Amino acid sequence: MTQQPQHTKTKRYGMVIDLDKCTGCGACMVACYAENNVPFRQDESDKMRSLNWIRVMKVDNGKPFPDTQVCYIPMPCMQCDGQHMQGHSPCVSVCPAVATDYDQTTGIVSQIYTRCFGCRYCMAACPYHARKFNWWDPKWPADMEKYLNPDVSARMRGVVEKCSFCYHRYQKARDKAYVEGREELHEDEYQTACAQACPTNAITFGDLHNPEHSVYSRSRSKTAFRLLERLNTNPKVYYLSSKSWVRRKADNYLEGENFEQIREKARKAAATH
Amino acid sequence: MKIDRRCFLSLVIGGAVGTTLTPVPWKLTDDIAIWSQNWPWTPVPEDGPSKFVKSVCNQCPGGCGITVRTIGDRAIKIEGQPDHPVNKGSLCPRAISATQHFYGPSRIQGPMKRAGERGQGKWEKISWDEAIKTVTEKLAELRTRGKPHTVACISDTDRNGSSYLLDRFLKAYGSPNFIRTPSSADAQELALYLSCGRQGTIGYDFRKADFILSFGCALMDGCDAAGQVMSAFGEQDKKTRLVQIEARLSDTAAKAAQWVPAKPGSETVLALGLGHVIVRDGLYNKAFIEDHGFAFEDWQDDAGNTHPGYRSLVQAHSPDKVAKATGLSEKVIESLARSFARARRPVAVSGLGSAAPVSLDQSLAVFALNALAGNFQKPGGVFLIDEPDYLSWTEMKIDKTASAGNQQPRVDGAGSERFAHTRYLPNQLPEAINSAKGDSPVQALLVAGGNPLYTLADTQAVEKAFEKIPFIVSFSTFMDETAEQADLLLPHPHFLESYQDVPTPRGMAHTVISLARPVVKPQYDTRPTADVVIQIAKNLGGFIENAFPWKNYEDFLQKSLSDQWKTLEKQGYWSDSKSRDTSLDEIFRTASQRFEFFPMSKLAAMNGNGNKKAGVEKIELPGDIAKMPLVLVPYISMRISDGAVANTPFMTKTLDANVVLENDVFVEINPKTASEYGLSQGDKATVKTQAGQAEVRVNLFEGIMPGLVAMPAGLGRTGFSDYIAGKGANVYGLVAPAVDPASGLNAAWGAKAAIAKA
Amino acid sequence: MTTPAIPEGVKRCPTRQFTLWLAVVGAVLLWGVYAMFLIWYKGLNQTGMNDAYGFALWIWADLAVIALGGGAFFSGFLTYIIGKKELKSIINYAVIIGFICYSSALLILALDIGQPLRGWFIFWHANVHSMLTEVAFCLSCYFAVLTIEFIPLVLENPKLDRIPFLHHLSHNLHEVMAVFAATGVFLSFFHQGSLGGVAGVLYGRPFAFREGLLIWPWTFFLFTWSAAAVGPCFTMLVTWLTEKITQKKLVRPEAFQLLAKISGWMLLTYMIAKIADTWYWAAVTAPSKGFSLMDFYSSNPVYGIWILIAELVICGIVPALILITRKGRENKPLLVTAAILAVLGVCINRWVMVLQVMAAPLLPFQDWYMYMPTWQEVATTILPVAYGAILISLAHRYLPVFPHEKELNPGQ
Repeated sequence: MTQQPQHTKTKRYGMVIDLDKCTGCGACMVACYAENNVPFRQDESDKMRSLNWIRVMKVDNGKPFPDTQVCYIPMPCMQCDGQHMQGHSPCVSVCPAVATDYDQTTGIVSQIYTRCFGCRYCMAACPYHARKFNWWDPKWPADMEKYLNPDVSARMRGVVEKCSFCYHRYQKARDKAYVEGREELHEDEYQTACAQACPTNAITFGDLHNPEHSVYSRSRSKTAFRLLERLNTNPKVYYLSSKSWVRRKADNYLEGENFEQIREKARKAAATH
Repeated sequence: MKIDRRCFLSLVIGGAVGTTLTPVPWKLTDDIAIWSQNWPWTPVPEDGPSKFVKSVCNQCPGGCGITVRTIGDRAIKIEGQPDHPVNKGSLCPRAISATQHFYGPSRIQGPMKRAGERGQGKWEKISWDEAIKTVTEKLAELRTRGKPHTVACISDTDRNGSSYLLDRFLKAYGSPNFIRTPSSADAQELALYLSCGRQGTIGYDFRKADFILSFGCALMDGCDAAGQVMSAFGEQDKKTRLVQIEARLSDTAAKAAQWVPAKPGSETVLALGLGHVIVRDGLYNKAFIEDHGFAFEDWQDDAGNTHPGYRSLVQAHSPDKVAKATGLSEKVIESLARSFARARRPVAVSGLGSAAPVSLDQSLAVFALNALAGNFQKPGGVFLIDEPDYLSWTEMKIDKTASAGNQQPRVDGAGSERFAHTRYLPNQLPEAINSAKGDSPVQALLVAGGNPLYTLADTQAVEKAFEKIPFIVSFSTFMDETAEQADLLLPHPHFLESYQDVPTPRGMAHTVISLARPVVKPQYDTRPTADVVIQIAKNLGGFIENAFPWKNYEDFLQKSLSDQWKTLEKQGYWSDSKSRDTSLDEIFRTASQRFEFFPMSKLAAMNGNGNKKAGVEKIELPGDIAKMPLVLVPYISMRISDGAVANTPFMTKTLDANVVLENDVFVEINPKTASEYGLSQGDKATVKTQAGQAEVRVNLFEGIMPGLVAMPAGLGRTGFSDYIAGKGANVYGLVAPAVDPASGLNAAWGAKAAIAKA
Repeated sequence: MTTPAIPEGVKRCPTRQFTLWLAVVGAVLLWGVYAMFLIWYKGLNQTGMNDAYGFALWIWADLAVIALGGGAFFSGFLTYIIGKKELKSIINYAVIIGFICYSSALLILALDIGQPLRGWFIFWHANVHSMLTEVAFCLSCYFAVLTIEFIPLVLENPKLDRIPFLHHLSHNLHEVMAVFAATGVFLSFFHQGSLGGVAGVLYGRPFAFREGLLIWPWTFFLFTWSAAAVGPCFTMLVTWLTEKITQKKLVRPEAFQLLAKISGWMLLTYMIAKIADTWYWAAVTAPSKGFSLMDFYSSNPVYGIWILIAELVICGIVPALILITRKGRENKPLLVTAAILAVLGVCINRWVMVLQVMAAPLLPFQDWYMYMPTWQEVATTILPVAYGAILISLAHRYLPVFPHEKELNPGQ
């Protein structure tokens, strides 16, 4: 949370996920596993012990046949800006050993696996369950270690991990731009594995500050919303849905509250940042 | 000096205090922490020069272009190839995680022969020479005994070079029994042949169509057409209207603008009903029917007999009757018909990747809707794609033995008088073997692609038939269910380490050939099946040897593809968009040179089987409805591989806990139906059908029609690895085939079932 | 010339009986130790925890024992700083109980981290914004203070006391004990508070989150307050239990009465503050995030409104009222009942502030997360109890823990 030198223009990398386009295929999850060396086990059906940096939740409108509708909601780490947008995301401020940090230049919340000693306070703090613990030693049977990506280190047992917005891809793109004498990255130079893999282009990724990036206008669209906005975590993952019932499921509202009004107010407030 | 207790204690305590004052404990503490950060059992992937290699995924017929990231000689990650005409960068989870199968424990690492009883899992490693010699000797022996026709070959495709070579080998050797494993598109391809006179596939321009009427196609659930459909869906503006007709709220239905939950098995009636409304209201494309349609109106054959035309046929399918049969309201039927007919670029799709096979009648009825719209060979419409013609054939001569063998009837009954136009009837094979008296009509079976012991309906019957076959060779890359029961394993390399041509995938609106190529060096001691076949041919000698003038498969591909080879080497695919703009005058190759509507085709299909009665609209499922009042329907999911090759561990990892929990599979049931049987969420239950039974758990889902039990296809594997086997049950094993009287194909859209709390 | 190991003038049970008792408790201890090594060797997969339950039984046990161990600092505060001489009768025992509680807490913390070998990073790479850092520092410092407070007592063992160096060390330590007690009190106020802060700062968890003063949420103060109130109750309860088991009078009744009275008033004021806090949270904080009170107490198999009533009324107001009335605290069964209820109350409070926080769903499409500890977790949680019993037995047998034991049990 230290202030970075001012000569680089601050970015706010974020994601906009169009739920009307998400088919729940799971390509984002699998692409993420492959990109980030996420291990797997014989039985992964205990979803609360399954390492996933992005999970696709299946939500239904609760209506009986044939009026039922379902919607898939992919949930990566929300990369919260935290209360007052200062990088005090719920997890960063609680980590006792500075093993997770908010990068002021990109807005990305990092995780240092070799620093983390596995107290799991950050997991208790995260309202999105985005943080995952390595309950077991990772194991790649047969020759599977050969497919591991050298850009991402494998995690050892006993530490917490989470989505990094494929930060290693940012580093690579930034290094390339530096060599070429550029300061700015093009939108397509830095994309997360999930956004790249999404077969229906439901997931878009870019700098929320940069009007040339598609996420800029998409995140400001009328149907945009974030999950649990009322907790003031200020996530950088936005969702789009044309369906009112989906938008309603994104947050908690008291009986009698007009949720669209509250959402609209929050949307306008967020857009000014 | 006498050391007393006090002295000793002082020494120990003093020593301990003293040590803490030295750097030793602090250094050790630090070292231990550093050790914990570099545990030797946590791998550190090796870095190296990175490359991106263009290739194509070969795990399903979808033919999606891939880009493989390699580091040194390691395949790291598979991504979509953005400029590939099929998928434009989109991939399904299975393609993305193919490296897991490639490097995984399911691979067969070299040729082996069975050491114990069949299925015992005991194998003995042998050399390729010995393996090939064993097959050659067996085949030579059968030929000497005048029984070359008792050799059968099962393959999952008849369209790529490898399968052509196999078919060629059988012909040169003397067997008519090349059998393609079943797919949901079988009936659709037959319908295409009957109504348009073409052997090939039907293409739909999903990217430009403005109305997609899908009859239960798993457009965004299964992977067969997923690459093209999902990339099209991603491109589409919201003006494209997708309507999904399906009794279960599948992922395709969930994304559709409209979900039409018609009763399963009633799709044919619904398609005819839609035709009724369109004809009644005169909303069909009159110009197209005038110029290119045949048998729309009643017609007379050469002998002067009058036959009913399409108009007469749909007469009986008035909305009120169709409403009754489908469970939909008349209003829905009427408005659906009208919006389809009024759309500018509508397509009606059937049999593209659906979980259950479809009947010939359904295929014809749905295809006829496209003819009513007349939306052929133009953007946003239907395109007729021929079988690949890129393989240039050298003539071959065959000997008398081969000629005699080829004259024998096919063991599966395809092409017989009864099912004259059907090319393969894999689901008749078990019955043909099981009911044969004396020796099995199949004495040697070569399984080259496909996994019949898993994918064929009614697993128990298939197992029984396989037991009777004395010699089974599997060419499988993986230890799949069929390989487990084989006598000899001749592993084919994975598509990431070998050349493989992939022809135009089903549903594609123009011709695309893609080439899979060695991305990294071969991992294990494998050989391309085609190489083995060429070697066996050479060993057999004579005419057979002469029929195979190629060194190996790569040589064959290079020579056959000639000019296209260069393009394929360079960009990974070869695309021919010419097939898109053929004028309508040349596309119909039926006797009438027109699109032939339902009745005549049906007559043609039934020619010879004595069943002249029109109307097999609904395929009856076998079984006693009193004992089995529910219907089990398979469903497919993008996250479960339902085909020959199982899930990757990554795919299984994505499954929700109400799909698979530990080793139990969940069946979806409407809460209403569940309460009738006293079932609640998560309960263990037994599902019984005529073909078998399975232990399952119950998942209450409002998105499924009451009275149905839906079970995902692709689970219940026994082969592959511990990461894959033993989860759930194989739904295809529970569904007995229901023979479509018009085609002989299996058209079981479900199975009568009973469920009880376990 | 052998010196007896047992302090002069008091009677202890025969060695055989003592050994038998140690063997029984030792077996339980070994069971716990076995589980402990299993966890260190195989990792935290041996527990019932999961990604929804990063914090579970162990963290509850930590919070609970530290609250109960609060008797040490608060009695110390009363004895050395306020100067309540009556409490000299019980202060040694309070220190021992505190020592047991804090060492247990540290042990459990060492178990509860995924990478115990790197546990010291919490000091080395400390994040000053984290409540857990504050807890770690204060907890270790206060444990050091407790050790220093405990040492002179150990040195009073007749055998050790014979060694001149140790005799003088002990004497000098006694002289400066007030300074350590004051340090301990200061540290304790903070770490008890920061343990409260651990849950209270979680603004992503509306069930736990509390507004507060400066950087400290209200739970910071409530935790300190409740530990001060209930810690002495636990000291009394353990003393009473020891008296029952040894069948002796060990502590002067005045000490009991005074402690009970102070505890009662502390508890009463705590409850008033806690109820006010709960009311504000239910009426203002939670609704601002879209939650109504009953959202946290329905649609799940365990956490009903009963738990709130049990914590606030049955195990809060009721014992407070018993303890503040003279009749109540002078009636031994009532006094003990009140102490038990108060201890239960603070345990419930720590439970809901850990376990219920994890259980409550946040997104409308999520369900409650339920948790069941494994035997390994249970065994390691019982381990400190066995360890405490052994330490108390040894201390009672060999150390002059109770200065008034001789005068209270004449003729033995």
